[in-house]
Amino acid sequence: MQQQSARERLLHGINDRGTNVSGNSAAMNNQAVSKTHMKTKKAKSKTFKENLIGYGFISPWLIGFFFLTAGPLVFSLIVSFSDYNITSKMHFTGLDNYKRMFTADDLFWTSLWNTIYFVVFSVPLTTAGAIFVAVLLNTKIKGMKIFRTIYYLPAVLSGVAVYFLWMQLLSPGTGLVNLVLSWFGVDGPAWLFDPSWTKPALIIMKLWSVGGGMLLYLASLQGVPESLYEAADLDGANMFQKFFHITLPMITPIIFFDIITSTIGAFQVFQEAYVMSKDGDGGPAHSLLFYNLHMWNNAFEVFDMGYASAMAWILFIIIMILTLINLKFGKRWVHYEGGDNK
Amino acid sequence: MKRKLSIFLSVLMLFSMLLAGCSGDKASGAGGDSKKVTLKFWTFWGSETRRPIIEKMVDDYNKSQDKVVVKHTFVPWGDIWTKNLAAVAAGNPADVVVTDINDVSHRAKNNQSTDLSKYFDDNFKNRFYPQLWDTVLYKGKAYGAPFNTDTRLLYYNKKAFKEAGLDPNKPPQTWAELEEYAKKLDVKKGSTYERIGFYPLWGGYGAPGWMRNADNGKGFIEGDKLAIDTPAKEDALTWLADWKKRYGKKTIESWDADFANGQTNPFVAEKVAMYVDTGTFYTQIRDSGKNLDFGVAPIPSYTDHTRHWSDGGGFVLEVPKGSKHPKEAADFIKYLTDVKAQKYWAVKNYDNVANKQAAESAAAEMSGMAKDVYQTSNENLKDTQLAPVPLNYPDYKSRIDPQIDAVMLGKKKSPEALKKAEEDVKKIKK
Repeated sequence: MQQQSARERLLHGINDRGTNVSGNSAAMNNQAVSKTHMKTKKAKSKTFKENLIGYGFISPWLIGFFFLTAGPLVFSLIVSFSDYNITSKMHFTGLDNYKRMFTADDLFWTSLWNTIYFVVFSVPLTTAGAIFVAVLLNTKIKGMKIFRTIYYLPAVLSGVAVYFLWMQLLSPGTGLVNLVLSWFGVDGPAWLFDPSWTKPALIIMKLWSVGGGMLLYLASLQGVPESLYEAADLDGANMFQKFFHITLPMITPIIFFDIITSTIGAFQVFQEAYVMSKDGDGGPAHSLLFYNLHMWNNAFEVFDMGYASAMAWILFIIIMILTLINLKFGKRWVHYEGGDNK
Repeated sequence: MKRKLSIFLSVLMLFSMLLAGCSGDKASGAGGDSKKVTLKFWTFWGSETRRPIIEKMVDDYNKSQDKVVVKHTFVPWGDIWTKNLAAVAAGNPADVVVTDINDVSHRAKNNQSTDLSKYFDDNFKNRFYPQLWDTVLYKGKAYGAPFNTDTRLLYYNKKAFKEAGLDPNKPPQTWAELEEYAKKLDVKKGSTYERIGFYPLWGGYGAPGWMRNADNGKGFIEGDKLAIDTPAKEDALTWLADWKKRYGKKTIESWDADFANGQTNPFVAEKVAMYVDTGTFYTQIRDSGKNLDFGVAPIPSYTDHTRHWSDGGGFVLEVPKGSKHPKEAADFIKYLTDVKAQKYWAVKNYDNVANKQAAESAAAEMSGMAKDVYQTSNENLKDTQLAPVPLNYPDYKSRIDPQIDAVMLGKKKSPEALKKAEEDVKKIKK
């Protein structure tokens, strides 16, 4: 986020100067003084040269962007209106792919529903979980560094290994999760084998790795000025009042950032279902058929790239709309200490 | 799951291949001797056991003539499908590639493989099991040749049979007998099972297999006709759900999870007394180090009057579209599917091969249980059917599977579920 705005500022700076220069030159042209005209030309070419050097410096990124991001992006948009199958054909079929998606493909709706279910539960839960753990780990007790390391560890482990680990933990007969539940007299569900428990199982698994978000919150919690708490103490505020009226408002920018990025991430849920469902087909009764998994199957199992690309663009639009809503409503509850609410 | 996973990882490879394809490989076709043609041969046989075997076969071919040099490249399982397509798209494919038997017609239709019919004479097809040859045809033309195959058999634990008072030389012949035997073979302590007699969905034969077995060998989609919601298939699905009911949802789910990792096999561990799997499952029993006393038989039939239908799959040799030497490639394919090479593969790998004569002479060379199992699978191949992915309904499984799941979970009755499955499949017709 910060990087983004910095980049924007930089771009604006260049633009501002660009218009200034051309404005000057227009004014000077009116005066029709050849000497100054020469000067302007010089200045112009200097700016041009500077710009060129600037672009030169950012060229690795530009090349990467145009060839590896924008190019394929545009290509997939074109493909989404065709029946492209990687090798041999690419006939334009107009809006057929989109029509099929909304009218003829039940699995599209199943996958969308599964994904929204996952987003709606996992995003708030992981956000709240990360804040909770961060607040706990922000207290000053002995050996805190060890606790912080332990809670952060799951975020270090790589995906697929973690999924295999959880498949064992969630095993209905011999898994640790159900064993622990049985100590409390709870007869644990079949988790990944029961369609009504597969998604909750994944959400619980996600909660286990809140360490990444936790680190962000921890950093921002340390940035909350001590003086605010001291002032609150003088006013006789209790712990909860301090948390809800000082801590929480002060870390809202990070919460905001976390919610936006994890919503986007949650919509893209794929690997979990792919690895943890038998044969990668989306689990019992399609209960783990997430949007991206359905898209993947269309792209790389059936090789219907046109349809898969169309699905990708619909997902892009969904995420875009949600992010715009987030940005709009974010202004109401996000508090920036800088004061200008930018 | 492994295959899927590697496909996933290989997509990156696919795109890098597309890029690499641009650089071109001008050396192809001119390697080594300037007169010799170099054939690029891709397989996924890279394991310690399989790689030496296929490379010996390639080596023999290279020595047997002086016009062609075959260069074998191992492409990991899962990568090979996407890599092949990427290479075809980039215009720089292999000359011969080993690929799945069930979607030959799709690649033919999509112009991704070469019509080889002009290189094969009329006799060529006679060397193969007919159901295998059928899969390589698209509009009556051959777009490849079958290489190896498999078939599902019933393995049963003879020791357990004796304990249960059953004749170890009389495996169950019908579904009714299968049920009767299974009940006798169950060992239950309190509420938990120590041994399960039989559970139809463990092993290599899924619900679609049993439904096809019941329906006189008729698959879900025959040609252009749907045969999903049929009385026999409804009955078979109900029968499957009843097995689950009998053992209990909890038992099945927890056993499913325990054997899901594939590290231990329930039949080899003697936890399950009867088990359906491929003929090559024998090697797993052999290599387990246990002296398992077992027998092997065809899959029980639906009734006395129906046949012991079984399922199979396999791999074919194809020439990708864009190969510069299709004729030489076809010659190499002829060699690989001829008796000598096929027999070598069959014996060394303990694998079912597509060449009938080679399969029979391979069995004659074996002994003991290896021979028993191999011979049974050879006979079984006569009643073995494949399930090529239909051209009009490439994604049909994704519409049928959840309905089968729903019945197995007790959420739907089988007639209702299959009716819905048939409707859903109808909708996705291309």
